[in-house]
Amino acid sequence: MTDALIAGVGMTRFEGESERSIVGLAALAAERAVADSPYAWDDIASLHAGNALAEALGTQAGIANALAAALGIEGVATDRVENTSATGASACHRGVDAVERGGGVALVVGAEKMSVAETSTVTGAIGRLVHDREYDQGLTLPSFGGLAAGAYLDRHDAPREALAAVARKNHRNAVENEFAQFRKEISVDEALDSPIVADPLRLYDCCPMTDGAAALVIAHEDAPASGDDARPHDGGDRSRSNPVRVASAAGATGSHAVADRPDPLALESVRTAGERAFAAAGIGPDDVDVACIHDAFTVLELLELEELGFYDPGTAWEATLDGETALDGELPVNPGGGLKARGHPLGATGISQIVELVWQIRGDLPPERRVAGPDPETAFAINVAGFGNNSVCTVLTA
Amino acid sequence: MSDSDSSTDGVDRPDDGIALDEPVAVDRAFRCADCGRRWYYQRRRCPDCSGTDATTYGLGTGELVAVTRVEMTPPDVRSPNRLGLASFDGVRLIAQLADEALSPGDAVAFAGAHRLRDGDEVLRPRLDAVDGDPG
Repeated sequence: MTDALIAGVGMTRFEGESERSIVGLAALAAERAVADSPYAWDDIASLHAGNALAEALGTQAGIANALAAALGIEGVATDRVENTSATGASACHRGVDAVERGGGVALVVGAEKMSVAETSTVTGAIGRLVHDREYDQGLTLPSFGGLAAGAYLDRHDAPREALAAVARKNHRNAVENEFAQFRKEISVDEALDSPIVADPLRLYDCCPMTDGAAALVIAHEDAPASGDDARPHDGGDRSRSNPVRVASAAGATGSHAVADRPDPLALESVRTAGERAFAAAGIGPDDVDVACIHDAFTVLELLELEELGFYDPGTAWEATLDGETALDGELPVNPGGGLKARGHPLGATGISQIVELVWQIRGDLPPERRVAGPDPETAFAINVAGFGNNSVCTVLTA
Repeated sequence: MSDSDSSTDGVDRPDDGIALDEPVAVDRAFRCADCGRRWYYQRRRCPDCSGTDATTYGLGTGELVAVTRVEMTPPDVRSPNRLGLASFDGVRLIAQLADEALSPGDAVAFAGAHRLRDGDEVLRPRLDAVDGDPG
């Protein structure tokens, strides 16, 4: 259990092409998170900015310093966090570390503006994450997804519709999410008929490229608030200002080269990070009420659910087809639409998962957006870098 | 395969690991000189014994474990790019396939001379079908 509380959250709408600059996106998300918290700008001791692709895409470099100036909080300690697709969750953990060490308030912001470059440029930049010997073969992240998806369907005798069902569920969850990139339902047939990306994965099995930002105000449980509308942390009902605790934050690396893994379906970093996060929080998978799972590809949602112990190997696809992971299921997964439909701006994604889970725990959302039953007490997020190169898990509790 | 690094300040460092940057042929893997563990993707130390001395050897016949056909590829890579995950007696790798018809369970070996990415100066082999049992 940590001493860190999520005292405020905010994000921009995720969209295919934003009119705002990357600093503009980051600033908007930050302002919304601070406004959502009991803290004032003067309370913030550090700023941690997550951004993955600035150098590759030519967006604002040194984003943490630029953002501090844009927000008018020069003087705070700043740093930029980069961990490819898991940049957002790693930035969150940097903020948790900062308040546990310093006892104050940290502002964590993640942002990405992927529309500034051609699709092939972004694909090439992300494709450079792979091992040099993989790069020589022209491998991309969807390549790994295609190999794993084919192996998963073969080994578990699962129908192709099992992957499409993940996409359909996450698109359905995004329809009522005003921050999501894709707010339209898709059918299993539409998913099955979409263009092939890496067989058997098709377009609707893959997350999009996205512009967007998300932010958190993370405070030590003893940090005093000086904001105009400062309210006590333990003020009874779950109002907008009531914080959510970071029960644990843990990460782990796996092999860099995907083929180095003893099993093509193994995601060792997911398993290890999950075990560490559950142990540090003193809970197990059965205690989780709602989860955000890194569904960059539909098959990843299934593999991660199994590696994390939510389902036995080879059974997550049946659970998905049976509706167990739907908004009204036993374990709602990706209630905001996931990477698939909410979008995947690399630097912001992990933070947007935390934002979604805080909203769910606090009960802030309208009925059609909330998971079924009482407000969840325990939530789990996993943000994954590369194809399981690195996994970052966060457990939140009411 | 051990090397000796020289830093720019002129201070020589002792041999302390397997070279990461020396070119290795596509069809060769590494074997630890201390424990015999084998692997394909360069690393400074043996994953089992942390030994820092390794030799390379030629891969023989392997077995395809999974295949995919990638339609959306980087600008300098063929499209579609047919890829296979293959196991060579426990050493796994992913490589381009020469034959569209290859499928899991097929025996394969590196063969031929192909340009894997546009601009490559060296032609290299792809995985192709072979007769016989996987090694």
